Amino acid sequence: EAPSMNGPPSPSGSVSILVDSRCISSGVELMTSLRQRHGANVHVCSLDSSYFIVSNRMAVERLSQSDLAAMQNRKRLVERLSSLQGMFERVCVIVEKDRSKQGEVSRPFQRTRYYDSTIAALVRAGIRLLWSDGAEESAGLLADLAKLEHRKGQGIAVPLEVKGQRRQQTLQLYQSLPWISHVHALNLLHNFSTIAQLINSSVEAIQKGGCMSRSRAEEIYRCLRYSCDSSFLLNTSKAGKNS
Amino acid sequence: LKIFPKPTALVNAAPPYGHVVCSEKWRTSSLLRGLKAGLKILFENELAVADFLLPNKVCLLYVSEGDMVAGNGFRRKLVRYRNASSSFQQLVLAERTRLSEQYFSALQKFVVLDLGLSLLPVGGQTEASQLITQIVHGEGRENPFRRRTSCRLLDSITLAMVQQIPGVGKVRAVTLMQNFPSIQEISNASPAELEPLVGQASAQQIHSFFHAHLTPGN
Repeated sequence: EAPSMNGPPSPSGSVSILVDSRCISSGVELMTSLRQRHGANVHVCSLDSSYFIVSNRMAVERLSQSDLAAMQNRKRLVERLSSLQGMFERVCVIVEKDRSKQGEVSRPFQRTRYYDSTIAALVRAGIRLLWSDGAEESAGLLADLAKLEHRKGQGIAVPLEVKGQRRQQTLQLYQSLPWISHVHALNLLHNFSTIAQLINSSVEAIQKGGCMSRSRAEEIYRCLRYSCDSSFLLNTSKAGKNS
Repeated sequence: LKIFPKPTALVNAAPPYGHVVCSEKWRTSSLLRGLKAGLKILFENELAVADFLLPNKVCLLYVSEGDMVAGNGFRRKLVRYRNASSSFQQLVLAERTRLSEQYFSALQKFVVLDLGLSLLPVGGQTEASQLITQIVHGEGRENPFRRRTSCRLLDSITLAMVQQIPGVGKVRAVTLMQNFPSIQEISNASPAELEPLVGQASAQQIHSFFHAHLTPGN
């Protein structure tokens, strides 16, 4: 049985964007602009860190220039971006100018060698950089990226909201598959009628139903058939009893 | 529109580590003076479409404040640059100054969204030379942001997945997997096969978790 394919995109041709709930506190202005000025269909959910998903393959991080320039953020930045690099074919970073507080004279940003080397490493790792003056421009860039991806046939075409306990439990199971993002899990949820159907599907069917790359589908296929090592299970059960 | 038949200079081999190939027109610039502080410079008379070639197949085009203020003429140059070579990573450095500020966002849309190139703003030639120096030096170090091939332990991933089944905690997960060691085997087990392991009610619940239709919209 072939998985049912995606229906038409969200109403009135507007683009769909998923937003992590951690983006809200710092992004009220941006979210309002995305919805009202750009007519985007924005859905807030809990992703694994604060970023946006604008298509089946693209994640966007929003960082301030000073975030990028601060050496003490290095470890977290590497962790966040390398995890996105694992889950998405394309990763963008919107670098936003720091907002000067009201009444404060804005100081020009001082580039450091560290900042330049970070920019260089990001670019050389294939991460796309976009430059923004503030929330309003960032919203425009996010909408532009989502539209561009939509034109390339990569737009998110399934409903963003998941209703019902069973479907939420299923989504969580799918999200625990290796290197699977929220958008892949949503695609699988909508394109397979039962979990067993996904589990018994070919690599091709998983690729099509998940709207994902071949290698990602192969990884899922392999994971679902992977036989756990009996000594691993023995150790796990021992550890469980002792604790 | 005329198509430019031969992408001349970009087919040159990239320079060795620590070197930059630079077109003649930059010879007396402040950008070059900055580069000389940390890099070795090689000049090339005919770098047709790029301004600089860096090690490991990176090339650079420089868009000056003047280019941006003077109008859209440089767009053709950018298109030629983009079409010239696909084996190089093509970067564009653009002078983002008080004068060129108002043109920057349009330039970004063109360079990044339309042409798919990487755009890096600099305040001027001195900043550009510092950034180029870091790009070159970065090639000698490990890049922490680079995509790595996965090597996650499938044992623990599978165990975590089994615990996502409603009503199954760690102990039950291990019991199930000692009899059905993969997700596929658990999902294809009948309630009768599961019953001795987890009891009748759970056996039924586990089976229906995998097999019940996920009807949308309710």
